[in-house]
Amino acid sequence: MTVFENRRDHFARAEAYCRRLGTAFVAVGGIALAVLLAVTVAEVFWRYVMNDSLHWIEDLSTMSLTVVVAGAIAYGAGEGSHVCVNLIARFWGRPVTRITDAVARLLGVGVTAIAAYALFAHGSCGLACGAVTGSVSIPHMPFYYALGASLATYGLLLATQLLLGLAAWNAEDPNEPAE
Amino acid sequence: MMDGTGIALLGFLALFVLLLVRVPVGLAMLIVGAAGIALIRPGAAVPVLAGEIFAVASRYPLTILPLFMLMGSLAVVSGMSQDLYRAAHSWLGRVRGSLASASIVACAGFSALSGSSLAAALTMGRVSLPEMRRYRYDDSLATGAIAAGGTLGILIPPSAGLVIYGIITEESIGRLFMAGVIPGILLTLLFVLAVSIVVRRDPGKAPHAEEPVAWRDRLRATGRAGWIVGIVIVTIGGIYAGVFSAVEAAGVGALLTLIAACVRRALNRETVTEVVGSTLKASGTAFLVLFGAFVFKVFLGLTGVAFVASEWVAEQGFSGVQVVLLVLAMFIVLGTFLDGFAMLVLAVPLVQPILESLGVDMIWFGVMVVITLEMGLISPPVGLNIFVVKGVAPDVPVHRMFRGIVPFWVAMLVALVLIAMLPGLAMFLPNAMYG
Repeated sequence: MTVFENRRDHFARAEAYCRRLGTAFVAVGGIALAVLLAVTVAEVFWRYVMNDSLHWIEDLSTMSLTVVVAGAIAYGAGEGSHVCVNLIARFWGRPVTRITDAVARLLGVGVTAIAAYALFAHGSCGLACGAVTGSVSIPHMPFYYALGASLATYGLLLATQLLLGLAAWNAEDPNEPAE
Repeated sequence: MMDGTGIALLGFLALFVLLLVRVPVGLAMLIVGAAGIALIRPGAAVPVLAGEIFAVASRYPLTILPLFMLMGSLAVVSGMSQDLYRAAHSWLGRVRGSLASASIVACAGFSALSGSSLAAALTMGRVSLPEMRRYRYDDSLATGAIAAGGTLGILIPPSAGLVIYGIITEESIGRLFMAGVIPGILLTLLFVLAVSIVVRRDPGKAPHAEEPVAWRDRLRATGRAGWIVGIVIVTIGGIYAGVFSAVEAAGVGALLTLIAACVRRALNRETVTEVVGSTLKASGTAFLVLFGAFVFKVFLGLTGVAFVASEWVAEQGFSGVQVVLLVLAMFIVLGTFLDGFAMLVLAVPLVQPILESLGVDMIWFGVMVVITLEMGLISPPVGLNIFVVKGVAPDVPVHRMFRGIVPFWVAMLVALVLIAMLPGLAMFLPNAMYG
């Protein structure tokens, strides 16, 4: 593992960049959250105060939700909020978890990469596939891309954590899941 | 060539192995679901992944989750939890063990704002634990009361557990919320009763009976908690009265909490960042699990295992109640080592067709399932709430905390038995409202 250990600083820097990328999603997710709140309240206001209904509200709500979710997945990844069952560390120590963590992260990188690819590929079909919202025809494409970018960011973070874990083969893992 | 049931069993085995090696729950289900679909229908895995992820992320009823999480985060930073605790304490102050009981009642009140067990345990732990230590409460009673009180967050509406259950089973979230109200109150009372029994058996666990609080002070403390009470009445009452849908109640509740936080001058750059960050983190946790759950559900559907299981149960001649009890027992055991949400999204799609074929009411069953999730939150060795409280009281050994939760765990079992025997406890409000 010396080849990885010698590059530990590089991997740590790469991981920090990925975390920062995840943090950038907070701004986008936060704005979408504000929009989601506003349109949900507007719907009630329009119904009871204006005696009318806004037929496009559900379209706007659902598309805002996709952006909130995209922000939440990427940001949550950097903050370690994606829950795992942490039983193994109680029974076996680092000699076992360094191997299992590497396998877990590798699988994580694989599935996030496939999911991101699937979202970009499926989303790029766009209007040709009739991928628009029901009431006001908001195209789905950018929202598929937002989710794809979010999962790709998660995958990148897992990849850097995999390398950092290998670099810390004979030491404590800096990304040990919290108890 | 392996048949569908064999592939499904292999899938479950693979899933447990992945969970054991600490693959995040959502990713583990995505991996097994996608691989299983690829095995059965090779060309379908990629479109299903994209389609299900987008469908979950854009599902209108799920807008409830970030909005209620926003409401809870705003309630935390605005300091409303302290007011709630003081109000509960002012009314329960003369009773032995009053601080522990006040923690539980305040947790129940906070749960009606946040929907998260962990948030309730953490927030109330920070507020009430120092008080209980000041009066030399036994550590096991103090931490047990907070950990158990916190679990009320996933039963008392708005409940993230009930929302996810509703999405998976396609049951009305409004009905589920209403079904959680009476069992939530019942469980709160049983927890308070548990405190009183513990203190009666060993008065040394809660040594100081506090000074009586004057009526004027009680009313003042209650008045200060008026924001929370008002918001809960508007949101939950609004759903009950049919004024709002559950989604709209979430939006209105979040707006009112935002207004309350502004009025209390609790919002600044730092707290807004904290609110948005914690809302996104909690939402991210839930949605990744949901992505995995829905892909895994498609995989299970393709294997036909639920149909095979339903037929097998029918052949054995089991009654609905017998199967419900068996499933709940299984949930209690699974809850000792599996994350609550993971258990919900893994097991419910499998048992739903069996229970529906036996005529079991899925709303009633949902409430009982959520109580088993609560039991899992305080059961060793995983008991998440215990570790949340451990973060607030790092000097209390975990084994003492687990000892302290025993009376509350028994109270949950009693609640479960009562709701199983008297379904009206869960079904009265939804039936009164929706018919």
